[in-house]
Amino acid sequence: MKVSFFETGRYRAPRALPPEWPVPSGAYDREAGAQAYQGIIERLEYVEALGFDWVSVSEHHYSPRILTPAPIVTAAYIAARLRKITIALLGPIVPQSNPVRVAEELAMLDNLAQGRLVVGLLRGTTNESLTYDLNPQEARERTDEGMELILRAWTEPQPFGWQGRHFQYRTVSVWPRPFQQPHPPTYALGTSREACEFAARHRLGCGVSYGPFEVVGKATRYYREQCARHGWTPAPEQILYRANMLVAETDDDAQALLRKQPNQAPFAMRAGVRDAIMTLDSRNIAGEARAPVVSGALPTTFIGSPDTIVEQVRRCRNVVGAGVLDLSLHPPGSGDLDALMRSLDLFGKSVLPRIRDI
Amino acid sequence: MRDEGIPTVAQTAFREGFVEVDGFRIRYMEAGQGAPLVHLHGAGGPRVTPAHDLLARHFRVVAFEMPGFGQSPENTRTRSMPELASTMAQAVARLGLDTFNLLGTSFGGKTALWLALQAPSQVLALVLEAPAAIRQEGAESPSGSPEEIAKRLYAHPERLGTIPLPDPVLRAKSQPLVQRLRGPDRDADLERRLPSLVTPTLVLFGTLDRVISPAMGRVYKELMPGCQLVFVYDAGHAISTERPEAFAEVVEDFLERHDAFVISRTETVIHP
Repeated sequence: MKVSFFETGRYRAPRALPPEWPVPSGAYDREAGAQAYQGIIERLEYVEALGFDWVSVSEHHYSPRILTPAPIVTAAYIAARLRKITIALLGPIVPQSNPVRVAEELAMLDNLAQGRLVVGLLRGTTNESLTYDLNPQEARERTDEGMELILRAWTEPQPFGWQGRHFQYRTVSVWPRPFQQPHPPTYALGTSREACEFAARHRLGCGVSYGPFEVVGKATRYYREQCARHGWTPAPEQILYRANMLVAETDDDAQALLRKQPNQAPFAMRAGVRDAIMTLDSRNIAGEARAPVVSGALPTTFIGSPDTIVEQVRRCRNVVGAGVLDLSLHPPGSGDLDALMRSLDLFGKSVLPRIRDI
Repeated sequence: MRDEGIPTVAQTAFREGFVEVDGFRIRYMEAGQGAPLVHLHGAGGPRVTPAHDLLARHFRVVAFEMPGFGQSPENTRTRSMPELASTMAQAVARLGLDTFNLLGTSFGGKTALWLALQAPSQVLALVLEAPAAIRQEGAESPSGSPEEIAKRLYAHPERLGTIPLPDPVLRAKSQPLVQRLRGPDRDADLERRLPSLVTPTLVLFGTLDRVISPAMGRVYKELMPGCQLVFVYDAGHAISTERPEAFAEVVEDFLERHDAFVISRTETVIHP
């Protein structure tokens, strides 16, 4: 099992913030922000020393919960400061991006990091369609087309034009090409039938997140079926599972930590927006409709003492098939850095060495 | 539905005509006003698509039925692709077209390339739709039942209202000709000549082409100094059937502006 640390920036708000997304930018505290950004490298040096394989960053906007709206910037900063760890950019929100620009930036980053880059491409959380005025009903199609264009831009040796449905370019010829050939290890992120089929067709990895093992396992099973249909078998590390983990000395302590967490949606929108966008944002797990996550906290699927967690990881391997875990060891958005470091320390010393062979 | 020669989607707009050249009576369908655009069809024979309709809004579209295809009698005479190209050049000349734009689809893409090599001063610009002139090693023509052929030709046959299935009888008649003329996957004689072809050329491949690998597009670009390569997203081999609007837009733009078609004219002002 490979292990990835999900780095979110860890903004420690000096005063309570409004719960709704978008969070007013006037509430930003520059001192707290500076500390959050400066803390990244110190924390990741420790993460690297503990033996984590990857550090991951992701794109979220208009909120202190995950302070990396331009994750490529964070990734480049990490690449420059850390020497060994692989940087997983999971990922650019494809439907609201210029795919050619994404291909260029990731190729640059792969060169700067000398091949220490892993890429996840995704559609984005429901709220993000508001960020750059993306029509939620077009998000799925724009994601599929954008991913296809990114792969083509990385691999096509001659200048080409792209006559798409949602994107049109007459001249594409990306420099630099990726350091890793033909391109960095890439995952289509999401549980949808479309993402799984895309990944299978292009021999990419599949990344799922947060849901209970049995639920996300439906998607990874579908992904593996589709891979078989296309005549190949994914390696274990081509199945990635992002999850929340609460590890403590005992199971009771871990449950007590969970009870202290607010049951709040990660990006809670005003009710009128939330209800309207729910009807437009169609999501599925391997083809079965599911509601977008717009209320309630994300589940914590690994919880307990180190012994308990090791068993849960074993179950995850069996049920989900995951060969890479991308972990939040303390809720993103919590400014409790001491608690985070205690979890990190405990996980690194008492869990990580025991799940390597799972 | 089965194809009976040149049907039907846009049939009302197209009128039928014939020219007699080279011992053949060659049928064509014509519509529209403007600069002439001659179309040479694929191995499945002639078929008027919605893309022809769209192109006929800006061009005088002349879609030929090459001898041995569609309703024409079996062609046992033509021995080679350059010979077929020569016959088609005479057919165009018989219509009084001194200069013209030339569109070749798949098999007809190779015919069009030879025609442009033989008469470079007459061909204003060349558009090759999923051309079969340069093929991946071991490329196989679609074969089997009409349904199996459709699965090879279209990325999403299920999205087409009525799938234009090939007629097995017409197909059987033209197959010997196709086999005789299609040539090797890599035709050294043709490829040796391509660097001398300066005709503005647009090569189009659907990203889901299951007959000719879209990766062949780059070979044209490498060999031909005047070549532009464009991928049509989510289309299979029959680009103009699956994404007619996208196909017609890029073809029109290229025929109008040649290399300058890379300069965007898309307006982005939302509110003045």
